[in-house]
Formats: sequence, C-alpha cells, structure tokens
Amino acid sequence: MSTSEQAHPRHRLDELLQNPIRFSIMAALDRAGTLGFREVRDAVEVTDSALSKQVTMLEAAGYVSVGKAFVGKTPRTSMTVTRAGRSAWKTHLQTLREIAGGGEL
Amino acid sequence: MDLTPNITAAEAQRLLNQADRLSRGAHDATRWPYITFILGLGSVTSMGTLAMGLTTGSAFGLAYVGTLAGLFALIVFFAVSIRERSAFSRSRRWTAYMASWTVTYVAAIVVVAWVHGSVLWSGVTSALIFIVAIACATREARS
Repeated sequence: MSTSEQAHPRHRLDELLQNPIRFSIMAALDRAGTLGFREVRDAVEVTDSALSKQVTMLEAAGYVSVGKAFVGKTPRTSMTVTRAGRSAWKTHLQTLREIAGGGEL
Repeated sequence: MDLTPNITAAEAQRLLNQADRLSRGAHDATRWPYITFILGLGSVTSMGTLAMGLTTGSAFGLAYVGTLAGLFALIVFFAVSIRERSAFSRSRRWTAYMASWTVTYVAAIVVVAWVHGSVLWSGVTSALIFIVAIACATREARS
C-alpha cells in the first residue's frame, strides 16, 4: 500500500465505531454524557441483548464506563462516555467530515 | 491488503446527520426535568433567602414556610419526572451543579443567620444563587 493511499481519511476511521449500533450508542452519549440503559436503548432502538453486547465491547475498549446502582431493589445501569471515548468519537466525526467534504474516496 | 471499507461522501454526511440527530434526541428527551429543577431551585431559594434575610417576625415565618413548601414541591416534581431516567442524577456533571448551588445557598443562609437585615449582603448572596442556577441550567441546555 502506498503512502498516498494511507493518507486517505477513511484509514483514520475508528474500526470499533464503524459498527452501526456502537456508532449510535456513542452518538446518543455525546451530548448527554451519562445515560441509563433504557435511555440508550430507546434512543438507539435495539433489543436489550444487542445493546448489552455492543456496550460490553465499548467498555472493553475504554470508550464507555458502565455503572451499576440500585433504586430500591431494582438495579439501574448507567453508561458514561470516557475521556478516551470522547476523543475517539471526535476524531471519528472529524474524519467523516473530511470525507463528506472531500467527495467520494 | 486494504480492508478499510470504502465510504462515499454522501454516506459520511448521512452518518454525521444521524449522529447529530441521535445526540440531540437523547439529550433533549432526558434533560428537561433536570434543567427545570435547577431553574426552579434557583428561583425558590433565591427569593426565599432574600425574603428571610430582610424580614422579621411573622413575615419571616411566612418566608421560611413558603421556601420549604416550594422546595418540597420541587423535589416531588423532580423525583416523579426523572423516574426511568435518573442516570444523570448520579453523574459528575449533576454533582457539580448541585455542589455549586449548595455553596451559594449556604452563603445565603449564613447571611440570614449572621448579617440579618443587611440589604446589601442579602441581595448579593440571593443574586448569586440565581446566577449560579441560571449558569448551570444554561450549561446543561447547551451541552
């Protein structure tokens, strides 16, 4: 692969964020910072199990931190975008903007 | 071998639009009770401490009871409206908002207790409560 090919913005896209569900989870958390499991599920419109699986991958990558709390006896799961996650998300969006502004690659 | 998927400019723009829509939607759907609560808290405690700082006797009692009633109503509204969306109430950002309000409220209560009757100090501390509450609400609304 030549150097000019590597310079294409698409090579800077975050692999983890190219999955549509993970992309949507990060988008939902972008402004809100912290959201509950149900809030993210409703925003992204996926099943509990699909969301749980993708959140686990984002958590393993250090992009999202997952918190557990109890309201009475009911467990409540919350998700917060981490500093690393926010940085990766910003870079990913910036790369998309470059691609959108630069025509087809 | 290049395994990076090709992405067109139109596709990239579609993803950017989707990200913006999702981000705004999730924020707007969950934050209005928090923003309303901060504004209400700032208004009630600002007016309440100002009234308590400048009155005596039964007028003071009325201001005191009125502030407590307003606070109670606000807390009930908040508890009901954040049901199913209480995750933000355990976040650092919310803790910072509440800590900021607490500092100004404690200052206003100190004025009520120690410099009672001072128009200047009551005005300053009550205005501070309101300004901090407005700043927190604005910060959250614009985030």
